[in-house]
Amino acid sequence: MTLMFCYFVLPLCWETFPFVRTIDSWGLTLTTLNYAGVFAIGALGLNLLTGYTGQVSLGHSVFVAVGAYATAYAGSTWNIPMWLWLPGAVTAGFLVGLVIGPFALRLRGNYLVVVTLGMVFVGDHLFRNWKSATGGNAGVSVSKASLEIGPLDFRNLSVFGQQFDKDQSFFWLIWGAVALVALLLKNIVRARPGRALQAIRDRDLAAEIIGVDLFRYKTMAFAISSAVAALAGALFGPLQGYISPIDFGLLVSIQYIAIIILGGLGTVHGSIIGALLLGGLPRIIEGLAKDVDLPAVAGDKGGIEGIVSISSLNHIIYGVLIAGFLLLEPRGVAGIWARVKAYFQTWPFSY
Amino acid sequence: MIQFLQGLFDGAALGAQYSLLVLGFVVIYRATGIINFAQGGLVLVGAFMTYNVSQTWGWNFYLALFVSMLVTAAIGVLMQRLLLQWVLRELVGVVSALLAWAVLFYNGWNQVAAFVAGLVLGLVSWVLTREIERRWGGGQARELPVFGSIMVTIGILFVIKQVVPSVWGFTESSMGDPWGLGVSRTAGLIFSHAKLWTLLLTALALAGFFCVDRFSRIGVAMRATHVDHEAAVANGISHRVVFATAFGIGGGMAALAGTTAAAGIAQLTPNLDLIVFLAFPAMILGGFDSPFGAVVGGLVVGIVQNLTKVYQPAWDLEWLGVGFDRVMVFLVMLVVLMVRPYGLFGTKEVHRV
Repeated sequence: MTLMFCYFVLPLCWETFPFVRTIDSWGLTLTTLNYAGVFAIGALGLNLLTGYTGQVSLGHSVFVAVGAYATAYAGSTWNIPMWLWLPGAVTAGFLVGLVIGPFALRLRGNYLVVVTLGMVFVGDHLFRNWKSATGGNAGVSVSKASLEIGPLDFRNLSVFGQQFDKDQSFFWLIWGAVALVALLLKNIVRARPGRALQAIRDRDLAAEIIGVDLFRYKTMAFAISSAVAALAGALFGPLQGYISPIDFGLLVSIQYIAIIILGGLGTVHGSIIGALLLGGLPRIIEGLAKDVDLPAVAGDKGGIEGIVSISSLNHIIYGVLIAGFLLLEPRGVAGIWARVKAYFQTWPFSY
Repeated sequence: MIQFLQGLFDGAALGAQYSLLVLGFVVIYRATGIINFAQGGLVLVGAFMTYNVSQTWGWNFYLALFVSMLVTAAIGVLMQRLLLQWVLRELVGVVSALLAWAVLFYNGWNQVAAFVAGLVLGLVSWVLTREIERRWGGGQARELPVFGSIMVTIGILFVIKQVVPSVWGFTESSMGDPWGLGVSRTAGLIFSHAKLWTLLLTALALAGFFCVDRFSRIGVAMRATHVDHEAAVANGISHRVVFATAFGIGGGMAALAGTTAAAGIAQLTPNLDLIVFLAFPAMILGGFDSPFGAVVGGLVVGIVQNLTKVYQPAWDLEWLGVGFDRVMVFLVMLVVLMVRPYGLFGTKEVHRV
């Protein structure tokens, strides 16, 4: 399924030029797709941890931050070439995950949730106070990070005679990474480690009895998911150009959880769909508010004085979406897709 | 020594607030198994409601506090009935109320009139749905898986966090409490009136809760539901009433905690709910389902946090950063968890395969 998805994404972005104009009118610019791509990578990591291994983690934003700050430091401040700082950032995330992983052995369910919540606050404190490494509250610029791997310079790509501008080059970089990570994760999941992880999710005591090494697999799940998250952070840095602790708070963690819930827990393509949905939604609402008078919303159209601003409306819709999907479709968009697929598998005779 | 005692007192007052918050969490978790992340939102609503009633409407402060506790309890109950135990009636009622309000408001009605009309319509449709259900038999109430309930409550928290400042504004305001900045000085220690009253009110609320829990029928019903849900239902304890009561008590506690936390000059801000995130370590410390643990955990966390704040400059630990007291609390929680994974007084979960 994911392979097909990848095959769809790659040719789709070949048409980046005319495509941009049509979706631009819906408010979905290439920038939005780029941010959605970064979210997709992070969500893939979180889905491995929460969807497949059942370890609910509210601390995903810390891993993303580790990758982003590593990029800022290595790529921007020390000016290391990309083929070094990218693996470096990923390794940094991997190591942090290795450290956090063993905690999941002692703690189950709700306790793990609250401890990962605590991790977010500890991380936030670190990022704000360790000024030499992270620039403190003011943040640090990542714009000087080099984005060249060999002949490909991702700031202005020129391949096979086609010249791409900055946004389009980033699109290729980010969504290429999404495809790679999705492939990697799908491969993990369908093989032995994936089955072990799902066994842990379903009943970890029983898994241990039949011989799944809990320590090894839980730690690995944390390590890989945080490595992937660090990759997302590493790409997020150059995309935004400037990172600061506000970009990596509890809100971001909750956004990631919302993405995998909306998309579908325990599926690879679900993470990508969820990221596209939640990445595009604020833009669509903004675009909509410009043209349509939404009741009780302070829109650009002037006239009706609303009670809530656009950004508040975004947050409200987030909350409503999370609650709504959990109540009505707990398996997310991937669940809807699965049902549609199942229906058509036996169509027209459903018996 | 004086510094230590002062730190102890201030920490105890802070800890009392945390105890209230944690007790709200614990009561709800004990009866329903749900960690209600929306407690933060209820804290906000409670504090702003007290502000509204006492400042905007000019009522007596304590009466305002009482009213606010009732209203927040009602909101808690509504939250549980509507979203966490998905029952058709409540859904129909609220959706129709919202629609009516939006449509009327959009068509130029005065906001308050539209709101009231929406409320009336919601009530009417609630009653109608109940009658229809009784007449033609209703569906079962759907309940969420545990992980799902966390996310739903987080979703509700988001919504409340946006709606509250939209109604009451984003700036800091003063609660108008009668304690203000008054202090009493004895034996070299400063006893702030607000903190004294916080301790007193919290002690009253906790005592009240413990009385209800031990001696009243609903308290026994809640404990029974916690011990064995099915046996309780089989004995005729309506789990709907128990769940609703738990959420109501949680809401009331949150309102009291919010009001005492925001006492003083210009302390009432829309970011008040951040205090809830420090209640989590207290909850873990004490154990998720122990009210006594809630009190102990809250006090410990409050005292640790305050003493860290006091001794960090005194022991030259400024390099640990601003706000290290919050991190210290989490570190303490981590250490306790490694030794006792279920908190100090929590019940050990027995895993059966």
